[in-house]
Amino acid sequence: MIGALALGSIPAADEAFRGEIRDFLRARIPSIAPERRARSWMGFDAGFSRALAGRGWLGLTFPVEYGGAGRGPFARYVLVEELLAAGAPVAAHWIADRQSGPLILRFGSEAQRRFHIPKIVSGTSFFCIGMSEPNAGSDLASVTTRAVPEGKGWRLNGAKIWTTHAQHAQFMIALVRTSGSSADRQNGLSQVIVDLSLPGVTINPIRDLAGEAHFSEVVFEDVLLGEDALIGAEGAGWAQVNAELAFERSGPERIFSSAVLLDCWANYLRERGADAGTERLLGRLLAELATLRALSVAVTARLVAGDSPIVEAALVKDLGTSFEQAIPALLTEALGADPDAAPPPGLLRVLAYTAAMAPSYSLRGGTREILRGMIARGMGLR
Amino acid sequence: MQDLLAEAAGELFSRHCPPALVRRLRGGGADDGLWAKVEEAGFLDALRPEAEGGAGLTPAEFLPVLLAAGRFSVPLPIGETAVARALLGAATPPGPVLIAMPVEAPLQARIPAQRPAEWAILPGDLSLLPLADAQETGAAAPFERRLEWPEASIGQKVPEADWLLLGAWLESAAMAGALEKILESSIAHATVRQQFGRPVAGFQAVQQQLSVLTEEVFAARMAAQLGSLGGGDGPLGLDRARVAVAKTRIGLAAREAAGIAHAVHGAIGITEELELHLSTSRLLQGRALYGSADYWAGWLGRAFLAEAPVDFAGTLDFVRQKLAPQETA
Repeated sequence: MIGALALGSIPAADEAFRGEIRDFLRARIPSIAPERRARSWMGFDAGFSRALAGRGWLGLTFPVEYGGAGRGPFARYVLVEELLAAGAPVAAHWIADRQSGPLILRFGSEAQRRFHIPKIVSGTSFFCIGMSEPNAGSDLASVTTRAVPEGKGWRLNGAKIWTTHAQHAQFMIALVRTSGSSADRQNGLSQVIVDLSLPGVTINPIRDLAGEAHFSEVVFEDVLLGEDALIGAEGAGWAQVNAELAFERSGPERIFSSAVLLDCWANYLRERGADAGTERLLGRLLAELATLRALSVAVTARLVAGDSPIVEAALVKDLGTSFEQAIPALLTEALGADPDAAPPPGLLRVLAYTAAMAPSYSLRGGTREILRGMIARGMGLR
Repeated sequence: MQDLLAEAAGELFSRHCPPALVRRLRGGGADDGLWAKVEEAGFLDALRPEAEGGAGLTPAEFLPVLLAAGRFSVPLPIGETAVARALLGAATPPGPVLIAMPVEAPLQARIPAQRPAEWAILPGDLSLLPLADAQETGAAAPFERRLEWPEASIGQKVPEADWLLLGAWLESAAMAGALEKILESSIAHATVRQQFGRPVAGFQAVQQQLSVLTEEVFAARMAAQLGSLGGGDGPLGLDRARVAVAKTRIGLAAREAAGIAHAVHGAIGITEELELHLSTSRLLQGRALYGSADYWAGWLGRAFLAEAPVDFAGTLDFVRQKLAPQETA
C-alpha cells in the first residue's frame, strides 16, 4: 500500500529561473488570442518552440554533452508550469522534450543519442508517439503493427492512430511487434524510431470535434527501416513504454489544461464583480488547484530523490484531469447563471473550445479507468 | 521527529481510546484516564514555547497528533486545549477546553456536541467560561450544543485572536485523520467481504470507487499539511488563506469519501455496531463546524479578487505566492 506524500517545495535556485521565463512569456503571450492559448499543450507553433530552443530551454534536463542544459527536474517543473499556465503554444517540441528525448537518453545507443538529442534541443526534430492503433487503445499489448527483420534492418507494416501532430513531426517512436503474435501479449514488442519521410509512410490527418486536425492516422506500407531504428532491446518494448508513460504522468501537465479558461474567467470577474456563489466557486477551484499543485510538487520531489512513485503519479494525474474537466463544466453553468448578462464573446470562445476538448484530458496517456486500476493495484486490491 | 510523534500518538490512542471508549465519551461517560494519559504524553503543552515548559512545536510539527486523534475519532478536545494553552499561557486552567462559535447575543455560543470538556473559549466575549455553569438554550441541534452562561461566570479573559481560523484548522486536521481511517476500513472490508464467490475488492466497479477514495484521502492529507504551514499572520503563525484551502478541500474530500466508504461497506456500514459511523459522523460534524467548505471557499474567492492583479497566469501566481510552501527566493 502506498503512503502519504510529504510536502515538498521547489528549490530556490530553480524558483529563481521563473522570472526569466515570465519575462520571455510577457513579451509574447499577450499577442496570442486566448482561444489559441486555450489549446494548451496542443497548440502548435514551430517558431515558438525554436524561440525556446534559442534560450536553451528545450532539453533542459538533458546532459550538457548532448546539447542539453543539464538542469534538474525542478527547473523543468518551473518551465513547464509557466508555459502551461500561460497557454504557450508548446506542442511542436512537447513530445520530444518530455518523452522521446528522455527515452532515447535512457534506452538509446550512443549513436542514437548523438544523432537525435542535439536536433531535439535545437527544435529541428519534432517527435510523435506511435502507441494506439485502430484496435489497440487501452489494451496496448494487442498492437499488431509489425516490424519483420530484413537484411540488417526491418520491414514495417501496419497503422497507428490518434497520433498527436504526426503531420508536423519528423520522427515517431512506435511500439511494434517484432516477434510472436498478439497472443503473446507484452512479449515480443519493441520500440522503433521511424523517420516519417521514408517511402511507404502515409499520414492522414483526422479532423477533431473542434474542426482542427491535431491528430492523425499513420499508415506503414513496407517501410524499410535501418538496423539503427530499434531503440533499446528487442522485446523490451513493453517495459520501455511503461517507463515512458511514467514520465508522462508525473508533471504539471495534468493540472493546467484548463488554466487559460480559469484565468480568463478570473480576470472577467475582477472587471464585472462576483456574487457570493461565484466567489465560492472561485475559492473552491483555487483550493483544489493549490492542493493538486502541492501533490504534483511532492511527486516531483520523490522523483528527484530517486524513487519511482508510479502509483502516486497516476493518482495525481487522475485527480488533475478531473479538476481540469470540472473547470469548463462548472464555468458553463456559472457564466449562464444570469440570463440578463452577456459574457464577453472571447471568454465564451475559450469556454467552448475547452469544454469541447476536455473529455480528451482523461483519455490521453492512459484513460481514467486504466489509472484507477493502477491505483487499486497499488493499494493491494488486485 | 514527526514520525516519532505520529507513532507515539497512534500508539497511545490505539491502546487507550478504543471504539467502546469513543462511544462512551460521546455519550458523556467517564474517560478511563485517557485525558491524564494525553497530559502525561505532553501533547497538551506541545504548542507552548519551550521557555514556558512546553515543547515549542509549530502547527506543522503538531499535525501528526491531530491526524492520529482524528484517525481514532478521539472525542476529547486535544488540539483545542493545546491551542488554548499556547495562547492563554500559564493562566489556562487544567482540563479540556473547547473553542466556541459565537452567536449574536453576549454570553451565548455554539460548541461542538459529543466532545466532553470543562471549559469553553467564547471568541465574541473574549472569555473563558466553565461548561458546568452553562445552560442549553432552546432545542438541541445536531453536531453542536447551544449554550448560555450567567454574568457571574465571567472570569478569565482570553486574547483577541482568529479563533474561527484555529477551529477550522483543528477540525480539518482531525477530518484528514478520520479520512485515512475510513480508507483503511474500506480496503479491509472489501478484501474480506465475499460476494459472488470472491472478495468484493475483486470487482472493477468496487476497485474504481476505492481508487477515488484513495485519491481524496491523499488530497485531504496534502491539504492538511498546507493548512498547517507557518509564515502567516494568524495565531501560531497560521495563514488564513492556507487554512481556507484545507477546510475547503478536506470538506469536499469528506463528502465524496464518506459516500464511497459507506457504499463499499454495504448494509453493515449502516449499523450502530460497526465502527465506520464513528468516523463518518465525525466527518459530517467537521464539515459543518467552524465554517463549512462554502464559507472558506467564499472567503478564499474574495481574497483572490481583492489581492491578485489581473494577469495571464494570475491563479498560478496566487497559488504559488499565497497558498504554497514558502519558496525562498
